[in-house]
Amino acid sequence: MNVIENIKMALSSLRAHKMRSILTMLGIIIGVGSVIAVVAIGQGGEAMLKSQIVGEGNTIELFYMPSEEELQANPNAWLVNPFTSEDIQALEKIPEVSSVVALSSEFANARYREDVIDASITGINQAYLDVNGLDVEQGRSFLPADLLAGQRVAVVSHSFQEELFDGKSPLGQIIYIFSQPVEVVGVLEEPTGIFSFGANEVYLPWKTWRTIFGKSEYSQVMLQAENADDLQVAGEKAADLLNRMHDTDEAYQVMNMEEIAAGIGQITTIMTIIIGSIAGVSLLVGGIGVMNIMLVSVTERTREIGIRMSVGATRGQILFQFLVESVTLTLIGGLIGMLLGGGAASLVSYFAGWPPLISLPVIIGGVLFSMIIGVVFGILPANKASRLDPIESLRYE
Amino acid sequence: MIKLASIVKSYRIGKEQVDVLRGIDLQIKKGEFTAIMGPSGSGKSTLMNIIGCLDRPTSGEYFLNGERVSEYDEVALARVRNRSLGFVFQQFQLLPRLNAWKNVELPLIYAGVPRKEREERAMEALHRVGLSDRANHLPNELSGGQKQRVAIARAIVNQPKIILADEPTGALDSKTSAQIMELFAMLNQDGTTVVLVTHEQEIADYAERTVFVRDGKLIGEEEEANREVSES
Ligand SMILES: Nc1ncnc2c1ncn2[C@@H]1O[C@H](COP(=O)(O)OP(=O)(O)O)[C@@H](O)[C@H]1O
Ligand SMILES: [Mg+2]
Repeated sequence: MNVIENIKMALSSLRAHKMRSILTMLGIIIGVGSVIAVVAIGQGGEAMLKSQIVGEGNTIELFYMPSEEELQANPNAWLVNPFTSEDIQALEKIPEVSSVVALSSEFANARYREDVIDASITGINQAYLDVNGLDVEQGRSFLPADLLAGQRVAVVSHSFQEELFDGKSPLGQIIYIFSQPVEVVGVLEEPTGIFSFGANEVYLPWKTWRTIFGKSEYSQVMLQAENADDLQVAGEKAADLLNRMHDTDEAYQVMNMEEIAAGIGQITTIMTIIIGSIAGVSLLVGGIGVMNIMLVSVTERTREIGIRMSVGATRGQILFQFLVESVTLTLIGGLIGMLLGGGAASLVSYFAGWPPLISLPVIIGGVLFSMIIGVVFGILPANKASRLDPIESLRYE
Repeated sequence: MIKLASIVKSYRIGKEQVDVLRGIDLQIKKGEFTAIMGPSGSGKSTLMNIIGCLDRPTSGEYFLNGERVSEYDEVALARVRNRSLGFVFQQFQLLPRLNAWKNVELPLIYAGVPRKEREERAMEALHRVGLSDRANHLPNELSGGQKQRVAIARAIVNQPKIILADEPTGALDSKTSAQIMELFAMLNQDGTTVVLVTHEQEIADYAERTVFVRDGKLIGEEEEANREVSES
């Protein structure tokens, strides 16, 4: 008596009561489907949140945040632009660090002929160009020579062009920042996505920015590591180094990506558990439906059980037969549920724009889970069947 | 081959104890054709169920081929039912959703015989009972006599040494009954031990030995040396 024989038997008995089998499966389909959908959507959402937190090009940002005591001891400790050129050079020597993206940003007036607007003026270094790049739609980005020589050139944002140039081509035009002329050589692409909005921005080579604003410190520094796994280590080394160089305790800090990612993971896990347990209740109801139908089936087939025992079926074989039947029922229901739940999750992912995450573990988990439901809710009816008395069963009408 | 010693079977209904079998001693030799006769309610079926390992005696010993089966566990008893015995019932006891040959192959499934061989042997058994041409019919497409032939084919498919039949003609008309009884006689001539329960004398006449049961006790027996067997 092998499993295949039992599965065939189970299928034929499920086929004999098509309507009943389908209705029973429906509970499992809805249950498994909603669990799969919830898990897949949850994982997709988590992946999206994490990818937004860990910066573009796998960078980690350094912060300057002096403590209350440090500020009290030295009121001048608060620096708007806390990173010096020496800092940057020192950071570049950390083995794990591959590049040090540095920039400074300030709001200032930008004038073109008679028109003046407020814009964020950002000076960037070569590493910024290497890591983030400037996506220009017109003209060109900066050349290494522009940065090296501190050329008076600028790349402006799309909305800057619209506001100051009325959408006309700004290429080759001279704009004035703090009365200092720079030539517009490129316009950035319009940003896309739900979380971005157009801002008036002007990008300058770092040296040009330094000359115009008369400041030689950077306001923001981001590190890129050779190896993404070294990012956190590189960040911590960098913070230590800067604290030593500036003789501060913990003013220079690095955001702990792992902690944040773990935090997000925790939140989405809690959400998944909450919604998942609601879905789980429907699965429980589906399982009870299976148990109910299997009990009915055992009663209806009492005589069949007696016949099988009389020709040599052991109690174990009868138990196994009915277990296979309930597992077949829940497995088919589970597979259909996974198909529908997976479809729903893919649809949601598609519209939300995050990666659909129907992973292999989810599929294997779903299959195993459906089978376990079949065993858990099938064991009682199967046990009842196996305990029937053959003589009484043969007499059953 | 079959040896029953002081078999007692009693049921407890509430506080009352009902003694259905009250000390049965019976021996049946290999190759015998034995009929068990007695009035309704005398305990014939209860006795047959014990011989058929579907039931256990309250006390007493049961030896089958020298083995003390009254001490077997449930799995061993199932194996005896499967390999050593073939049961035929008054109500045929066929699975209504399976066609004739699938009903017949049932004992072979539990014996672990591979599929191909099962089909061959089921067809062979159906051939022996003269039903080869009905192999694909469902039970409700067959007459009473044909159903009982299918049941007999199922009983013999695993080549047991003993066939047990509890009123196998009880649901059949007399002409069909005669055909079925001739089938049993034929099986007996091929060497199978046959034990038959009946309350009809004409049926018991097919057997070479008849034992009489009344109120759960054997009250005598009758040996018929020159029993008539129609050869048609
Ligand atoms: N499970 C049972 N519980 C109580 N009494 C039973 C049970 N099975 C059979 N009996 C009783 O045992 C007696 C013999 O039954 P049975 O062996 O079927 O007789 P027969 O086959 O000779 O007609 C009957 O009186 C019947 O009521
Ligand atoms: Mg009876």
